[in-house]
Formats: sequence, C-alpha cells, structure tokens
Amino acid sequence: MAEPLGLHEHGYTCREVVDLAAEFVEGAMPAHETTLFEMHLNFCDGCFTFIDQIRETSALSARVAEDSLPEELKVELLRAFRDWKRT
Amino acid sequence: MTGADIEARVGADDSAVVARLRDGDERAFEEVVRDFYPSMIAVARGYTRTRAVADEVVQEAWLGVLKGIDRFEGRSSLRTWVLQIVGNIARTRAVREARSVPFSSFESDVGEPAVEPDRFRGADDPYPGHWRSYPTDWRTLPEERLFSGETLDVVKQAIAELPENQKLVITLRDVTGCSAADVCDTLGVSPENQRVLLHRARARVRATLERHFDG
Repeated sequence: MAEPLGLHEHGYTCREVVDLAAEFVEGAMPAHETTLFEMHLNFCDGCFTFIDQIRETSALSARVAEDSLPEELKVELLRAFRDWKRT
Repeated sequence: MTGADIEARVGADDSAVVARLRDGDERAFEEVVRDFYPSMIAVARGYTRTRAVADEVVQEAWLGVLKGIDRFEGRSSLRTWVLQIVGNIARTRAVREARSVPFSSFESDVGEPAVEPDRFRGADDPYPGHWRSYPTDWRTLPEERLFSGETLDVVKQAIAELPENQKLVITLRDVTGCSAADVCDTLGVSPENQRVLLHRARARVRATLERHFDG
C-alpha cells in the first residue's frame, strides 16, 4: 500500500482532490487554490494518476464515433434549403 | 482533429459561414448541417424517445434556422444559436409527449461521489481521506490496448448508461467537442452545474474503464 507523505499538510486530502478534479481540469479553479492543488499532485502519485485518467477518459470519449448525418435527412434538408432560397 | 480545434475553426468562420448561408450557398449549408449534426442529435435525443423523433427535431430546427438566419447577430456562436433552437423544439415536443425533461429534475443526483468512498482511508486512519491503494497508471498500458476498438466500445456503452443529463453533457463536451459556454447556453444550466454534471459523467466512465483495464 502506498504511504502518503504527510499530504494533508499541502491543503487537500486525496478525496478532496478527486471532488475538485473537474474544476482543475476545466481551468475553473482560482489561482491560489490551483497552487495548493498542484502541490498535492506533485507529491501524490495516486491523485496525479487520477487526474491523468480523467483527461484520458475525456480523450477516449472524443474518439467514440459520432452519430453521422443520415442520407435521407441530408436530402430533405438540401431540398428545404433550395425551397428557402427561392422564397 | 480535437474538439478544441473544431471549436476554434467553427468560431472563427462563423461570420463567413453565415454570409454564405444567407447567399444561398448550398455547399456551405451541407457542410454546416454535417458538422453540427452530432451535437444537434445529442441535444434532441436528450429530450425525445426515439432516434426518428430526434431526427425530426433536427429537421424542424434547420427550418427554423433558415427562417431566422437574417436575424442572427453573432452574439453567441452559430453552433450555440442552432443548438438553442434544437433544445427549444425538443423541449416543446417532450412536454407535448408528457416525457420528463432531464434538466427539470437534475437537482436529484446532488452529492453523488466521483469515486467510491471506500477507496479512501477512514476517519480513524492516520491519513484520513487518502487513497487506500492508488489507481493503476494507464500510461503504462500499451497504446494499442488503451485506444483499442474494445476500449472505445466500453466508453460508448458507459456513456449510454449514464443518467440523461450527464449523458447529454459528456456527449456534447467530450464526444462532439462543444465548448462549456455552448452547453450552458443550450441547456440553460450554470457553469457550475455544467461542470458538476461533466465531472460525474467522466468519473463514472473512468470507473468503468478502470474495471475494464484492471479486470
């Protein structure tokens, strides 16, 4: 089991880091909190890994194939566009 | 291309695209219809029962966009404006079909933990709130495993099983690459709520991936 290096002295517990992950990843965290947060990440492999996993999850979601435009809908919309142009 | 790239490209070209649409440029219309479709269908699906109805909503939205394109003032991105029209139509239809609207009830999942509480040490431990054991470092996985079709199927399935509001937010943000502002304006949620939903969605998908990789 990994032994923490007195991490609570750096302001956050791992549990808090996990809850604040979105604020950090989304760049919505105030500067002074970001400093403490990053200090925790520097010392804590578990939380560093967790944040990496959240980013990786987001990157993997971006690779999931999107729903693509059905051909019939495209044809209908182009017809509607031509009608609209004429009016 | 990443979501952010698409965002930047669409944003920068908005006024040019709008001008081409107003001029009746069919190629521009086809491009934008194709580009916006994944996020439009995601919004529509958030409020409708079937894919077929969602496609009708998308179609109706485009008719509304064409009707109103002369009044588009560029206060928001073109995509946000289009998605708002989709959201309005979809919500109206959901009400007509007496279907529950995800964002009217989204206070109900407040307090859901991002990670199972028993992953952390208890109050009687010398290090309360710290990991009992660290999550596995995915950077040590071979890339062909991390990015395999099987992994992407796991992600897709995990997203499909999320509560509607989380599914909608993660699909818009991560799958289709919408900005946070697009999502807030389209769904009428605050930046904080948008972030909470995104966080819960990513945390659930992460947990599913963790079971997949560790299992």
